[in-house]
This record gives sequence, structure tokens and C-alpha cells, in this order.
Amino acid sequence: MAALAKLLLILFVALSVVYVSLSLYSRSVRREKLEREWDEEIGEGDREAFVRDGLEAYDSSLRRKLILGVYIVPILLIGTIIYFTNYR
Amino acid sequence: MWYYIKWTFWLVIVVIVGSFLHYTLPRNDVVRIVDTEVRRIDYGENSIFWADSNTGEATGIPSRDVHFINAKKSSGKDMVYRNEDTGWGWPPYFKFNTSNLHTRATDMRSTQENPKWVAIKRYGWRNQYFSIYPNAISVKPVEGPDVRIIPWVSISILFVLGCLWLAIWSRWRKFRANRIDPLLDGE
Repeated sequence: MAALAKLLLILFVALSVVYVSLSLYSRSVRREKLEREWDEEIGEGDREAFVRDGLEAYDSSLRRKLILGVYIVPILLIGTIIYFTNYR
Repeated sequence: MWYYIKWTFWLVIVVIVGSFLHYTLPRNDVVRIVDTEVRRIDYGENSIFWADSNTGEATGIPSRDVHFINAKKSSGKDMVYRNEDTGWGWPPYFKFNTSNLHTRATDMRSTQENPKWVAIKRYGWRNQYFSIYPNAISVKPVEGPDVRIIPWVSISILFVLGCLWLAIWSRWRKFRANRIDPLLDGE
């Protein structure tokens, strides 16, 4: 079981790097989109408050939770491979 | 000069990545199984081409017994496969059923006069100079020696890797154009 522990540890570290990078990237894309929206369509009032509200809405959105798939998809994939390699 | 260095660098990268994928991705051979056997292997320099499965047995031992499948390809060439657990390690086939596969392969042995053709899914290379063998992943009976098996798994993996590379590459180019080139131009 030491090998399984090693795999899980490596997987956890690697996927965490991907998860954090993807989270930061996705949030920055959303920020750019909000800033562009304010510049092109609204153009009045507090720009920073508009972006902040938009990002807070993003923080509780489904889109952000979908990034957790970074952990879930590989685990499902491993389960599928184990099934097809050993039980078919 | 710079031109040649640059292209040599990319050529080396492509060769390394290409041979890595060629070794790791699954392929199918249509063969007739001649025999299966277990023999002791003392591996040395070629040890990275042998599995290090760590599935309950002791590890770090310089020799062990390995299952083999001896076969004849439909082209008439000889082929020898090893049959080893990959366990939780690399490559990620998660194969734990070596003994069962040995049983199945033994069950499908056939003679030249009365051949039974099987498809062996395997990864790895056969190389006589290094004494390395591809690892058999599964055996299944097929109609005849001329069956063509389309490697959907390898095609999908290459497709996904290609998409990933394109996504990263295009973002990197955009990042370089927006952030790095202006800095260099400024100097």
C-alpha cells in the first residue's frame, strides 16, 4: 500500500498546483471581463465596487466549483482504468 | 548559428517526447500464443524497462521471477512479451491481474497446424540488445490473423494532449506578446 500512498501524494500535490493555477487564471479572466463590461457599457459610478461585487458573485458560482473537477476527474479516470484493465 | 541551435533543441525535445509516447501508449498485436512461461530475471542496466509494481511483494530486490508470453505474429515474426503488474506506478495501466492474465494466455495457446489468433494489447519495446520486452496488458481472441484493430485509446490520448498543448501554447504566445515583448522593446 506504500505505492498507493505515494501515488495519492504525488497526485494530490500535482493536482493542487493545477487547481490553484486554474483558480487564479479563471478569476483573472472574470476580472478582465467585468472591467471591460464596466468600461464599455456602464462607465459611471464606482468601477472598483462593480468589479468587487462581480467577483463576489463569481466566488459563489457553479463555474468556480466546477474547477474541483480537477481532483474528481483523475480519480474517476483511475477507477475506470482499473476496471477495464483488471475486470474485463 | 542560433538557428541551428534552436532547431536542434526542438528536434531533441520532439524525439524525447515522441519516444516516450511510443513506449507508453498501448498498441495491439495480432499473434498466436506459442507458450507461456515463468523465468528468473536478474536485471541490471535495463532495470527501468522492467516494472516496479510494489503490489505487496518485497521491493528493491535485484532479481525475481517474471511471467512471459511467447508468441508468433501474423507476419511470422517471433515476439516475446513480459507479463508484469504495473501496480500503482508508471505507466498508469493499473494492472494487478498478472497471474490471471498468465492463466488466460496459457488457455489460448495453439499450434501451427490449428492456430487460434489473439490480440495482445501491450506497451513497451522489444529490444534484443538490451533484453527488454513489451508488457502485455490483455489478451482477447480475434477472428483471424488479418484483423485490424483501431487504437482508439491512443488516438484519444494524443488528441487530448494535442489540445492541451495548443491551449497552453496559444496562452503563452498571448502572454509573451502582451507582457514580455513590450519590456524588451522598451530597452
